[in-house]
Amino acid sequence: MISLPPRWMLFVGGIAALALAIPPVVIARVRATPDPEHAVHIFFDMDFQPKFKTQEPNPLFADGRSQRLPVAGSIARGEGNPDLHRTTGVVNGAWATTLPAGLTMNDAFMERGQQRFNIYCTACHGYAGFGDGTVNQRAMALMSSADGPAHGTAWVQAKSLHDPAVREHTLGAVFSIASNGIRTMAGYEAQVSIEDRWAIAVYVKALQLSQNATLQDVPPEVRDALKSSPVEKNPTATSAAVKAPTATPSKDGVK
Amino acid sequence: MSRFLFPRWANLLLPTVILAGATIPLYAFFFVAYGLSPKTLEVGFQPEQPVPYSHALHAGELGIDCRYCHTNVDKAAYATVPPTQTCLNCHTNIRPTSPKLVKVQESAATGLPIQWQRVHKLPDFAYFDHSAHVNRGVGCVSCHGRVDKMEVVYQTKPLSMGWCLECHREPEINLRPVSEITNLAWDSATESSFEERQALIAKYHINPNDNCSTCHR
Ligand code: HEC
Ligand code: HEC
Ligand code: HEC
Ligand code: HEC
Ligand code: HEC
Ligand code: HEC
Repeated sequence: MISLPPRWMLFVGGIAALALAIPPVVIARVRATPDPEHAVHIFFDMDFQPKFKTQEPNPLFADGRSQRLPVAGSIARGEGNPDLHRTTGVVNGAWATTLPAGLTMNDAFMERGQQRFNIYCTACHGYAGFGDGTVNQRAMALMSSADGPAHGTAWVQAKSLHDPAVREHTLGAVFSIASNGIRTMAGYEAQVSIEDRWAIAVYVKALQLSQNATLQDVPPEVRDALKSSPVEKNPTATSAAVKAPTATPSKDGVK
Repeated sequence: MSRFLFPRWANLLLPTVILAGATIPLYAFFFVAYGLSPKTLEVGFQPEQPVPYSHALHAGELGIDCRYCHTNVDKAAYATVPPTQTCLNCHTNIRPTSPKLVKVQESAATGLPIQWQRVHKLPDFAYFDHSAHVNRGVGCVSCHGRVDKMEVVYQTKPLSMGWCLECHREPEINLRPVSEITNLAWDSATESSFEERQALIAKYHINPNDNCSTCHR
């Protein structure tokens, strides 16, 4: 028969063995739960070098920015473009109806416009431009809540881009709205490059055409096929029904 | 004269020492490999942010595209955390007086930036470029996880050198069409076949480098 050591020794040994199980449990827990204590640096190596990367704070300046703001009134190289058509969408005191010099209309440009529109404009205007984007829906719900608009919400319905008054806007006017905003809508000058804003304007005009097209806008060779197709015009079309249209209207349509 | 006699149980000492000698190094090895791995130390980092801004609401529920805010992610190395003006596009009119947005309104009034805390941070000796990945079919979800389901962003991948190289050596596992880059629900494994992803390698001219100078420059 094996004789066992005294009780207290077994007890201490047992506790020690149990204690060994604690670190793995702690580690497993740490792995499973996100918290602010992670990103432990055991060896610092050259992880933190005395240099500033993009958007890193800099305690030397009162505003804490390492990227200094340009002096008021300064113009970056290449941005002092005197081409008013390109920068404002105005030609001879009237809204431009054509693209500025340097930008050419082609499929790639239209697709770029569609992609950028879907990123920057659909949240409010919806994929097909009927003004029924998710943010607009949420904001309108806040406006009509039973106890009045929450926390000072004052939202104006995002315009349908197929509203007759909005369809009146020429290419240059749409470019200007995308750049500087209009009434309660903010401008997208800071977020979207100038070429992309022209591409968006072109796409908006195309989108308007696509929702208000007549048979004359369709190339002659496919008209017959359309006439015999069973699809009927849906007068109550919404963005949900016409999600992300892919048809590119004829290029001459975009004036 | 009484001699000291070891008690009988002392015979157990030898097997115990052998057992301990065999398991303790294993235990220590496990402790270092599991406990000190970047998957423990780095993954799950979730700093407290100054504003209770939620990706689950904005990017998930409202479906705002990542690039609406992270404007440079497809143009430059740095993705850009949005300036206060981007929030104001909507929040001048949506809940402007909400207590959760006090810091945003303060920042707009003073012109001082909101002090967002960094979540993902490579050591300063490593170089990373977003546009090189995003424009060649590597989606946000491959490196940041389901951000559109996070109330507060946390790190889901180790961002260790081994992890970078794993993908650089076998990119076809994670590739997707460029149109699905910001669609975090799009899963390469279920929505495309291996052959389709192989075809993307040719289409986007992908040839990831594992030269040291790619990332240490
Ligand atoms: C944050 C929501 C929001 C986003 C994003 C947005 N808009 Fe608007 N837009 C509005 C609202 C709201 C109005 C109506 C403004 C009013 O009547 O006060 C509007 C109106 C318009 C109008 C009609 C102007 C008129 O004459 O009535 C056009 C055109 C327009 N937006 C284009 C765009 C384009 C192009 C983009 C993308 C670059 C865009 N919008 C992004 C909210 C938005
Ligand atoms: C409405 C604006 C907005 C949108 C849309 C948005 N983000 Fe963000 N994002 C932010 C802000 C503000 C921060 C900084 C605060 C934070 O970390 O929560 C941030 C932080 C992050 C970070 C962490 C950055 C760091 O410090 O390491 C990641 C990763 C990220 N976003 C990914 C995404 C992805 C992926 C999407 C698209 C699904 C997305 N974001 C959409 C505003 C936005
Ligand atoms: C495209 C529009 C849009 C942009 C841009 C946007 N938000 Fe929002 N935000 C919303 C909407 C819509 C809600 C939901 C309001 C509701 O239903 O309560 C919201 C809600 C919030 C809330 C919760 C407010 C409350 O009282 O419940 C916070 C905080 C917030 N946003 C912060 C931000 C920050 C910070 C930014 C900038 C990085 C930002 N938002 C950018 C549309 C936007
Ligand atoms: C191949 C992996 C990878 C992909 C794909 C990726 N990121 Fe990142 N992201 C990183 C790494 C690594 C960092 C940390 C960079 C650093 O510390 O220099 C980071 C940092 C960020 C940051 C913080 C600011 C910065 O640039 O350091 C934001 C915001 C962000 N990512 C958003 C996004 C969005 C949005 C997408 C998708 C369009 C995306 N990322 C795709 C790996 C990736
Ligand atoms: C999910 C896959 C994936 C991950 C993870 C990943 N990469 Fe990449 N990386 C790629 C692909 C694909 C390319 C494109 C290669 C090409 O253009 O031929 C690339 C290209 C690059 C380039 C540009 C190379 C060049 O020639 O300009 C750098 C730098 C880079 N990666 C760094 C990193 C770093 C640092 C990490 C880890 C933090 C990382 N990558 C993680 C897939 C990945
Ligand atoms: C795909 C990008 C990539 C390539 C290629 C790469 N590295 Fe790295 N390396 C990294 C990143 C990212 C880290 C930082 C990991 C961390 O600690 O978070 C790192 C860390 C290191 C470290 C550790 C530094 C420390 O003190 O922790 C060494 C050493 C290193 N790299 C050497 C090399 C050598 C040698 C090569 C060429 C054989 C190489 N690397 C190629 C991305 C890369």
